[in-house]
Amino acid sequence: MSTKLIKTLCPFCGVGCGINLQIDSNNQLMGVEPQKDHPISQGKLCDKGWSTAYAISPSTRLTQPLKRINNQFHAISWQQALSEISEELHQIIEQSGAQAVGVISSARATNEDNYAAQKFARAVLKTNNVDHCARICHSPTVAGLTQSLGSGAMTNSAQDIFETDLILVFGADPTENHTIIGGHIIQAQLQGAQLIVVDPRVTRLAKLTKMHLQLNLGSNIALINAMLHVIIKQQWFDKVFIKQRCEGFKQLAHHVKNITPESVEVITGVKADVIRSAAKAYSQAKRAMIFYGMGITQYMSGTNSVISLANLALICGHIGKAGTGVNPLRGQNNVQGACDMGCLPNVYPGYQAVNGSKNQEKLSQAWRTQLSNKPGLTSLGMTKAAQSGDFRGLILFGEDPVVTDPDQNHVKYSLKHLDLLVVAELSMTETAKLADFILPAASFAEKDGTFTNCERRVQRVTKALLPVGEAKGDWQWLQALAKQMGSEQLNWCNSEAVFNEMALITPTYQAMTYQKIDKYFGLQWPCTDEQPNGTAILHTKEFPIGKAKLILVNHTDIDENTDINFPLQLTTNRLHFHYGCGSMTRNSPLLERETPPGILFINPFDAKDLNIAHHGAIGVKSRRGYLETRAMITDDVPVGVVSMPYHFNETPSNQLTNTAQDPVTKMPELKACAVAVSPLPPDQAPKTIHQLRGES
Amino acid sequence: MKTYLISDLSLLQQHLSQHFQFHQVIKNDNEQCHWQHISQGTTQPLIYDKPLSSAKSFFFAAHENLLIFNGEFFQETLPSPSPFVLFGVQSCDLSAIKYQDKFFAEDPYYQARRKQCLLVGLDCNSPCEHGFCVTVDAGPGVRADTADLALHPLALQQWLLIEYSEKGALALKGLSLKPAHSNYLTQRDLTLDQCEQQFPDDSYIVDGIKTINSNNVPDTFWQQLAIQCVGCSGCTTLCPTCSCYGTRSIKKNDQQITQQRFWDSCLYEGFQREASFHNPSLEAGSRVQRFWQHKFGNDFFKEFEQHGCVGCGRCEQTCPGVIGVHSVMRRLTDDKAKG
Repeated sequence: MSTKLIKTLCPFCGVGCGINLQIDSNNQLMGVEPQKDHPISQGKLCDKGWSTAYAISPSTRLTQPLKRINNQFHAISWQQALSEISEELHQIIEQSGAQAVGVISSARATNEDNYAAQKFARAVLKTNNVDHCARICHSPTVAGLTQSLGSGAMTNSAQDIFETDLILVFGADPTENHTIIGGHIIQAQLQGAQLIVVDPRVTRLAKLTKMHLQLNLGSNIALINAMLHVIIKQQWFDKVFIKQRCEGFKQLAHHVKNITPESVEVITGVKADVIRSAAKAYSQAKRAMIFYGMGITQYMSGTNSVISLANLALICGHIGKAGTGVNPLRGQNNVQGACDMGCLPNVYPGYQAVNGSKNQEKLSQAWRTQLSNKPGLTSLGMTKAAQSGDFRGLILFGEDPVVTDPDQNHVKYSLKHLDLLVVAELSMTETAKLADFILPAASFAEKDGTFTNCERRVQRVTKALLPVGEAKGDWQWLQALAKQMGSEQLNWCNSEAVFNEMALITPTYQAMTYQKIDKYFGLQWPCTDEQPNGTAILHTKEFPIGKAKLILVNHTDIDENTDINFPLQLTTNRLHFHYGCGSMTRNSPLLERETPPGILFINPFDAKDLNIAHHGAIGVKSRRGYLETRAMITDDVPVGVVSMPYHFNETPSNQLTNTAQDPVTKMPELKACAVAVSPLPPDQAPKTIHQLRGES
Repeated sequence: MKTYLISDLSLLQQHLSQHFQFHQVIKNDNEQCHWQHISQGTTQPLIYDKPLSSAKSFFFAAHENLLIFNGEFFQETLPSPSPFVLFGVQSCDLSAIKYQDKFFAEDPYYQARRKQCLLVGLDCNSPCEHGFCVTVDAGPGVRADTADLALHPLALQQWLLIEYSEKGALALKGLSLKPAHSNYLTQRDLTLDQCEQQFPDDSYIVDGIKTINSNNVPDTFWQQLAIQCVGCSGCTTLCPTCSCYGTRSIKKNDQQITQQRFWDSCLYEGFQREASFHNPSLEAGSRVQRFWQHKFGNDFFKEFEQHGCVGCGRCEQTCPGVIGVHSVMRRLTDDKAKG
């Protein structure tokens, strides 16, 4: 029984579906419904989207600033919080320099919030120590695609799914994590498109196709190189495209000359003839589209795997046209935007390198202050430097690294070691529990601003509700803190003013305004004077680096192999019922009911071998930690591999995961480590991590 | 049954809004139709577009408190809304309300709201996207036993107002109305008949209903279909007849406990799971089968004297996995044809 229907965006994944909020006469959010005419979601939502009203319900929200005094949180005023935080920041910078402080922003916050966060770090704190969670999802995408193509984003658009002949889903589980795009893929397949799924797990899409390449963990590059070998040997590549648009084909041909499908059968676990037929189908399709996700990026070889996918698309000419491209599926609603806004330690907004003196000069001039030209620390770099005492003060919002980052004990130890930890959040999280100050943040429904979805579409978020209690939007409290510190750098009058300043200095956003975004149902960047209505398909005529680069990459083994003590491989996955650290989705009684808090997927063969029952209580141990959970016996994981979702703070998979990193981007290898699994005695329920630690 | 000829609809709207809280379907700024409260003194033109969210939440609330225990006593939380009118409910949604009236016949929370409501139906004069109300005998004209009053559009911006119930007659008291000649009713039948002819071929739906009741659909069909059910709850949320709910206790402090009920979905694995983890509908396939059985099964038809589906087609619009009613019925028929 709503009285108002407010048009805005779903706050969950990177698809960016249109959602209408139903507001009643008491200004309460009653429920949601999908937007029928939204260009991507067309009247559909996933279970997370439908549960939005629960996700931000006032009952679990933080409503006042809190300060830790003697290990207990006490409510304080905003004024007290700001003045004490400001004082501590000043003190740390005076004693240890600006490199001792930093900001971790949020891929769930708006572009305006993220722009403000990096400007706060760079222009107020005078450090490039700014990062966000893209580090642990798609930093290899940015690094890899930038080298190969010159731009680190999805090359095509969601609508291209209906214009393609073949969809190759590589290390991604779109029906669970990007459900609406997953549904488009199902629809396209029903309408005749071919579907190839490459995944160690039997995903929902894998069940819908005969072409499922169930490869071993961490063997992506070996498989792709073998596909390149077949395509080159059979002359199935696009000669004209390679000649006109690519560099390095000869070297690539030489590089994969001996990487036959037979030679990688053992590494990949995929039969040579299956690799051959996948190579044939992909290269011979008139138009073919690649989608990929964390199964490509969350490895030590993440950047190289992204590069090899680009190689595959390039030699077949499946790029720069409708129904083609290399398309990363980005996890969070605004992870594309947080990257675009320059919440990365090495680039300013619009991926302008920090260490280029021209950019430094340009930004210093625009912001009328001298900026540091020293690249900053990544999020894992900050936690590492915290241990040695070199990094002392962190401002963090909308993220829960204690649950989502690898090797939880290490993260927790580092955060505890800080002199100042400020966390702004909707509700209490594991990370917030460690903070010195907690600031109540406004939810997406309480803000005006923009999100950028995975297909580079910048869309508007509309304020439908007043912030709960004393909660503030992120750029608003950053502005207040900057003022308290004596800086006028963040003095905007509204979100539109933030956006307009950002658009001035961000080349790809240059021709965007709120009015135009509203008019066109979002604008896809680059949106410039030459492309005033945005760009649906990248690289149609040339690449930003001129010709695309075919770069030689080699298979590398995963860091931690199984052995007698840790005989099973653990990989991580997501459940479509939950999102990130679960702080929003777990408020829904329906979604919370769907799964026990924490599960481990295990093959029936391994379960029998270990004497584990369905839903039975088990202990899981790696070299870094131990936790207890319940077993879910399923053929969806292969023999020898177990899988855990990371949404649950009671049973955090990141107790177990490895911190071995991609050398380029410091992306941790979250997709593979060695574990041992054993049943708990009968009638013993699994203990939560807090109980195991004796905390409660 | 009395009928009247109306040349200025706003007079009727204004009259009703003096006695009832007035709700009507309007379009928001991005052209999406939805039920909205219209404040007294203002009127909105009647539109034919089907709102994505039906009128179901007016009676069966999306979430509501059933009782509060304050540490000592149980407090009743029965709603007590003032009289309200839903002005311009389409025949499919009216049939759904009739269906829910039976399902919730003994439910005091539902009935407390329902008895306060005056239903003014609206005939559809052309088929809507995905709609097949004709096939399931739920439209396009308002059925006599589903509304208190009904409106039928005539030429020259005139309306035929039909009085179906005593409640409807009472609501019109005090308004000077011009009785309509019986010709207009004949004309209505003709127009509705023409509208029915415009609906696309529905033979696969008719066949599909037969197939569902033939007990000849193999489990594998439902299992295959269920791979595409992502458990989003979109169909059950938008379906005007779906009535599954769950309950939970919300503890406010040590003293106060509120029992809340909320819309649930029988397609969730947890819906029927027992505390021991045993689940009679563990397989997604069996849940999908149950859903369609509930919509089109003969046993339910006997009990409710109508299908559990009113042909609005909202599930087709909203299902991300492409297993809304048209997709399922086509597949049932195609698969059967393939043998």
